[in-house]
Amino acid sequence: MKNWVIVLVLAVALLVQTVMIRVVADGAVPVDLVLVVVVFTALFRGPVVGLWTGTVSGIFQDVLSGGIVGVSGLTKSVIGLLVGIVGAEFVVSTIWHRLAVLLAASVFHTLLFLGVHSLLGTMMPTSVISLVLVQAVSNALSGIISAALVWIVPVAVRRVRHRRTLLVRRNWIMG
Amino acid sequence: MAQRQRIVYLVLAVVLGHVILISAQVNAGPRTSVLESFTFGLFAEMQRVLTSARDTVTGVWSRYVQLRDLQTENEILVGAVADLEYQLQEERALARRSVGLQKLLEFREGVELSTVSARVIAGDATPYFRTLTVDRGTVDGVYADAAVLAPKGVVGRVVGMPGRRASRVQLLIDRNAAAGARFERTRTTGVVMGGDDENLLRMEYVSNFEDVYVGDRIVTSGTDGIYPSGFNIGIVNHVQPGSGLYLDIRLDPMLEFSTLEEVLVVVSGGAIVTMNREGE
Repeated sequence: MKNWVIVLVLAVALLVQTVMIRVVADGAVPVDLVLVVVVFTALFRGPVVGLWTGTVSGIFQDVLSGGIVGVSGLTKSVIGLLVGIVGAEFVVSTIWHRLAVLLAASVFHTLLFLGVHSLLGTMMPTSVISLVLVQAVSNALSGIISAALVWIVPVAVRRVRHRRTLLVRRNWIMG
Repeated sequence: MAQRQRIVYLVLAVVLGHVILISAQVNAGPRTSVLESFTFGLFAEMQRVLTSARDTVTGVWSRYVQLRDLQTENEILVGAVADLEYQLQEERALARRSVGLQKLLEFREGVELSTVSARVIAGDATPYFRTLTVDRGTVDGVYADAAVLAPKGVVGRVVGMPGRRASRVQLLIDRNAAAGARFERTRTTGVVMGGDDENLLRMEYVSNFEDVYVGDRIVTSGTDGIYPSGFNIGIVNHVQPGSGLYLDIRLDPMLEFSTLEEVLVVVSGGAIVTMNREGE
């Protein structure tokens, strides 16, 4: 994954998060698409790229949401770094492994984010557990859908094309 | 080894940078940096384009669907218009009588609010805050802390310096939002604050000795200097004595915040107005 692709995917994730999610989910599902992108980028490109992706995307998210600029940047940097280390040290190749990493990253990110805000005295969440769980599940689901779109669909398209080519060749030989 | 050391230095630099960035804002209070205004403006334009494209697609689709039942709908509408014309005449007669009564009771006329209508072009970039982006900015007269209203009640306020053609609105149900409020029935004042997902709004600083019932209507008091007085906030859905001096009061908001598409932004320079109690 090249750097400009990461930037493009992050921009698309931010736009989808702000414009489309609100319409599709009626504003009720707390999905963090940017976190999903950070986690997958860190898994594929390692801790340094994960750290930078987390920093840049988090700061952009802070700027757009009106919170204190730097909080999301800090939390997503940490997540990008940790997931990058996990991806480098362990074999995280199947979708289930990646899903487990995404779930853990989502839970840790929410706790870290709420923790920093609690330290700053800017946010007092009343139902932390439900927020953490709902968000982890939402992020995992959106991660599965994203993974399906990014990996499974192109592979399926390639298979169909390959079969079609074989059929055309067979017909050409038979005919 | 050198690679690992470089990563450690990098992490330390990034974390330190963030801590300095956060500390600067916490000490200096809310300000808008060049980076912030540039990023917000840039993304607002992209969001505006994407929202327009989305609206066009949904508009074409809904028009196609609507065409299929147009004949039946037309007949129903003709009947409805006839009924409404009759109702309108009745309402006009009632309004004329109300105006007379109002003059008779020497009610003060509220100062006319100057507003611009704005379209919601984006939601929040994170799942933690409840903000919206609207397509009106300083060019249209929007200023920081301007009240944002809807026909059914208060939406929130503009947070941060608005962009040229877009502004960020903090909804009243955001955890960090608050508004001066009072009970319409008893005129007792308090502060309405944003809650969590289950209880969207709560009212604080209302004494345990106050007379509060489920179903009481809460309106803005105007004491915060942001929201004009007398606009709907919500209805009490739960009340019980609190552990301290104050009642534990939760509210149902008057608005469905998740489906907001059009809002009104006050642009009159923050004039605080008083509405008639019956005039909402």
